[in-house]
Amino acid sequence: MKGIKLLTGAAVVMAGTLALSACSGASDTSSSNGKVTMTLWQNSTTGPGQEFWKNAAAAFEKANPKVTIKVQSIQNEDLDGKLQTALNSGDAPDIFLQRGGGKMAAMVNAGQVMDITGKVSSETKKNISSGSFKAETYQDKVWAMPIAVLPGGLFYSQDLFKAAGIGDAPKTIDDLNADVTKLKATGVSPIALGAKDAWPAAHWFYWFALRECAGSTMEKTADSKSFSDGCWLKAAEDVQKFASTKPFNDGFLTTTAQQGAGSSAGLIANHKAAMELMGAWDPGVIASLTPDQKPLPDLGFYPFPEVSGGKGEPGAIMGGVDGYSCSVKAPKECVDFLNFVATTPQQEAYYKAFNAPPVNTEAQKIVTEPYLKDVLKAYNAAPYVSQWLDTVLGQNIGNALNVAVVDMLAGKSTPQQMIQAANDAAKKG
Amino acid sequence: MSNTRENTSAGVLPQPELAQHDGGGAPASPPSPPRSPRTGAGSSRAARRGRTGWAMRLEIALLAGPAAIVFLAFVIVPVAIAAYYGFFRWQGYGPATDFVGLQNYLTILEDSAFQQALLHNGLIVIGSLVLQGPAAILLALLLNRKMRGQSLIRVLIFVPYVIAEVVVGTGWSLMLATNGALNGLLKDLGLGALAHDWLSDPGLAIWTLLAILTWKYVGFAVILFLAGLQGIPEELYEAAALDGASYWQIQRRIALPLLGPTLRIWAFLSIIGALQLFDLVYIIWGQYVASTAGTSTMATYMVANGRNAGNFGYGNAVAVVIFLISLIVALFYQRFVLRRDTEGAITGDRRTGRKKR
Amino acid sequence: MTAFTAIPDAPDVVGAPGTPGRIKAKRLPWGSPAVYFVALVVIALMLAPIAYIVFGGFRTNSQITVDPAGLPNPWNAANYLGVLTGGVFWQEVLNSTIVAVVTTVGVILLGLMASYVLARYRFRGRGALYALFAAGLMFPITVAITPLYIVVRSIGLMNSLGGVILPQIAFALPTTIIILVPFLRAIPDEIQEAAFIDGCSRIGFFWRMVLRLSLPGVITVGILAFIASWNSYLLPLFLLNNEATFTLPLGVQAFSSQYSVDTAKVLAFTSLSMIPALVFFSLFERRIVGGLTGAVKG
Repeated sequence: MKGIKLLTGAAVVMAGTLALSACSGASDTSSSNGKVTMTLWQNSTTGPGQEFWKNAAAAFEKANPKVTIKVQSIQNEDLDGKLQTALNSGDAPDIFLQRGGGKMAAMVNAGQVMDITGKVSSETKKNISSGSFKAETYQDKVWAMPIAVLPGGLFYSQDLFKAAGIGDAPKTIDDLNADVTKLKATGVSPIALGAKDAWPAAHWFYWFALRECAGSTMEKTADSKSFSDGCWLKAAEDVQKFASTKPFNDGFLTTTAQQGAGSSAGLIANHKAAMELMGAWDPGVIASLTPDQKPLPDLGFYPFPEVSGGKGEPGAIMGGVDGYSCSVKAPKECVDFLNFVATTPQQEAYYKAFNAPPVNTEAQKIVTEPYLKDVLKAYNAAPYVSQWLDTVLGQNIGNALNVAVVDMLAGKSTPQQMIQAANDAAKKG
Repeated sequence: MSNTRENTSAGVLPQPELAQHDGGGAPASPPSPPRSPRTGAGSSRAARRGRTGWAMRLEIALLAGPAAIVFLAFVIVPVAIAAYYGFFRWQGYGPATDFVGLQNYLTILEDSAFQQALLHNGLIVIGSLVLQGPAAILLALLLNRKMRGQSLIRVLIFVPYVIAEVVVGTGWSLMLATNGALNGLLKDLGLGALAHDWLSDPGLAIWTLLAILTWKYVGFAVILFLAGLQGIPEELYEAAALDGASYWQIQRRIALPLLGPTLRIWAFLSIIGALQLFDLVYIIWGQYVASTAGTSTMATYMVANGRNAGNFGYGNAVAVVIFLISLIVALFYQRFVLRRDTEGAITGDRRTGRKKR
Repeated sequence: MTAFTAIPDAPDVVGAPGTPGRIKAKRLPWGSPAVYFVALVVIALMLAPIAYIVFGGFRTNSQITVDPAGLPNPWNAANYLGVLTGGVFWQEVLNSTIVAVVTTVGVILLGLMASYVLARYRFRGRGALYALFAAGLMFPITVAITPLYIVVRSIGLMNSLGGVILPQIAFALPTTIIILVPFLRAIPDEIQEAAFIDGCSRIGFFWRMVLRLSLPGVITVGILAFIASWNSYLLPLFLLNNEATFTLPLGVQAFSSQYSVDTAKVLAFTSLSMIPALVFFSLFERRIVGGLTGAVKG
């Protein structure tokens, strides 16, 4: 009797296991009887952003009754890892955030992304500049629809600046150092830094590199993955010198960029820090972390200061383009959705939800916030635009570079060692 | 049937002796009762009856088969796969084509980040043993008496062990944040000067990690030691007391040595666990700053440089390295530390032999 | 010592082992105040962080920002209620339960059968088989995760609970077998002889007698497997991408990063996720501690 019980138990276990493997959460892009279901992975975990995607999906579903879109929001820091796992295992979502650069190249080389070159609607092409599409181009084909243009610079609290007696935003690094000293005297952290996520720290290096290195040098390095040019080392030394004045908030090593009131964005939102170097998504993130969850009223923007003697063109700007890709297995309705979110009304809604510059030039016309207008002004006037370096270099080198910068900022390595670590990363993959 | 009990104070361990299933292994501790005459006759009769082939072989296959298959598929095959892909540079999709031989392994051994992770693992191993061991022994000695509430006390001490490392990590990282509860409490008590960046100060972080680990696992050690202490017969204590020994003398001269086997098992489990530490570090420090904060481990190095960077070939090589290191440590430990407890075990000496007498 | 004391007892039988049958006849005496004091200090240290997490869930975010170390004032149940009424928490509890229960059943079944063979049969290659399982201790899931992910992916079990269960069973086998083999070996030959004389087959002996006699060990092993499975994080992290399949530890981390804005909410979720483990532990505490006792003593 007990034996029989055990045997049936065993059978149940085995059957159950097999059944459970069927009851998986795999995304279903089935198109049986014409019904299409698609999954969407996006990286906004805060209210307005999630609302936008839900509404966009709902609006598209209404216009296309046979289509259902399941929206999944993934924390920004988890997204790249999960996406790669999903793409590698054939379980990819149909529509997903695309950062471009080397990360996109890896996906294209693995044959995991849909080529949308011929499928962009003419209306979209009219409203979105070819420069934005360039960020989503690889081997002369377009692999993602740009959605937002997110140039970087320093976002700051005008109130805190005024309280420290700072009149104009700094134009050179020397100005910035002087301002840091003034801010320290008022008791706030001059600069918020979310080094736990590594890339915010690395951005300081990228910008110094943009100022020190000529554009052609940077492009060459993006291909060769070798940081042998002297300008890279110079940029690393600049970062170290800048960090030696201790301008960052306490405990920056375990401060995240966007997660919670203790994050660097949260520090800005609660007036505990005066400024941070970020991309143009920052106003939206800050807005979600203010006590009343509304945009910070005294937020301002100024471009990264100039560095004397640098080989980079003055006014050069670095920024990412957030785009969305279709997985290679996605149904054709995927591209229709991409064209849909690029239309002007959707782009206007995007801007309102994310407080970030949309890529659609028509939608850009309704931007009102002064800081966003400053962002767009700097972007449009820039003689040279680069993507974020870690995106350009791909996940392996990008990650290693980011971590190496954090190490140096924490005082654990020299600029030479930092550059060496970045060079060494190529050996691992 | 005393000899069925003897050899198994090391029973939790790999390779207690296998060959003599009817007991009779070498005694692990002095006061064990003398070995009674072996029941070899009975066991060999039982064995001989089944020695003829097919029925027995079929039974063995049926009984051990499922376990062996599952184990092979999900443990052994991955070891083989790790070894295989470790020789390639491979991004994780399609077949592996870029054969690099031992290059990955060279890179690992030369990488200062890995060396630091190894160092941190070493610190964690030693720190765990040094911090948890004495504290747990003291607590166990203190609590090893019959008193009311002993059950409740034991349960409460054991609670942190039961909670997932993820939960522990999430909770502690909120508590120890620069503006978190611990610093807040210190400030409230007027000890604001003691407030530090517990998690982000590279000099301090590893100690914070050791403190959290101690908090989580000391209860397990206490329970284990209590169990070991309860294996010591009362008569010994009484005899020593009659001879005039004080309480602490009894503990030091009698209880502690007899706790030896338990201590050695606990140390083994502790060492292996410390070498494989991942969850706690990953949750609290994340995938990027663990090395900067001085708390990276070999496992976090593997995940950060393997899967998270898309370098699956390299990640597999790191896995093999961790496996080999654990294996070497375990064999070393078995051979030299546990030799007394496992006479006749596979890696021990063969003096007592494996044949029936 | 008789055969019956070879089977580990519950730990609070008064008196040393070797005094079989003496039941707790009288109430235990009080210990000395010093001991209780030390115990109290230790327990306070153990429980303080847990108390922090639990109380934190009863506060609001602004309370925490203003006074990180204070008590809830006023007590705010909204976070707990929110988590309990939201679907996410229960979905994850269900997933964790399914995974843990099936894993435990699988581990006990397969482990017991294999241990029986290793403990009581004599055949060529037995030592090698045992060493094979024991070597598995050196290759835990943490280390094996990279190639394991490849294996599970090629079988096609990504994103499914089955893909989490089968590896967990496999990785729990070394500890299980190592714990169970001594238990099974401790069953005296006389019993086996008697059973055979009475006409019982080897397999019948297994079902009828071995299971009952090794029950303490089986329970220990089952509980350890259950706890390990319930708390496992790395394997689900790699294999489960779809939110609907998340288990509780994964859910805690996902929740904490998704709602990182709201520390209080995260604390509420975290403390609720501790409860199943604590409940399970309190139910089986005697068995767990007793089982560890038995494993150590043999």
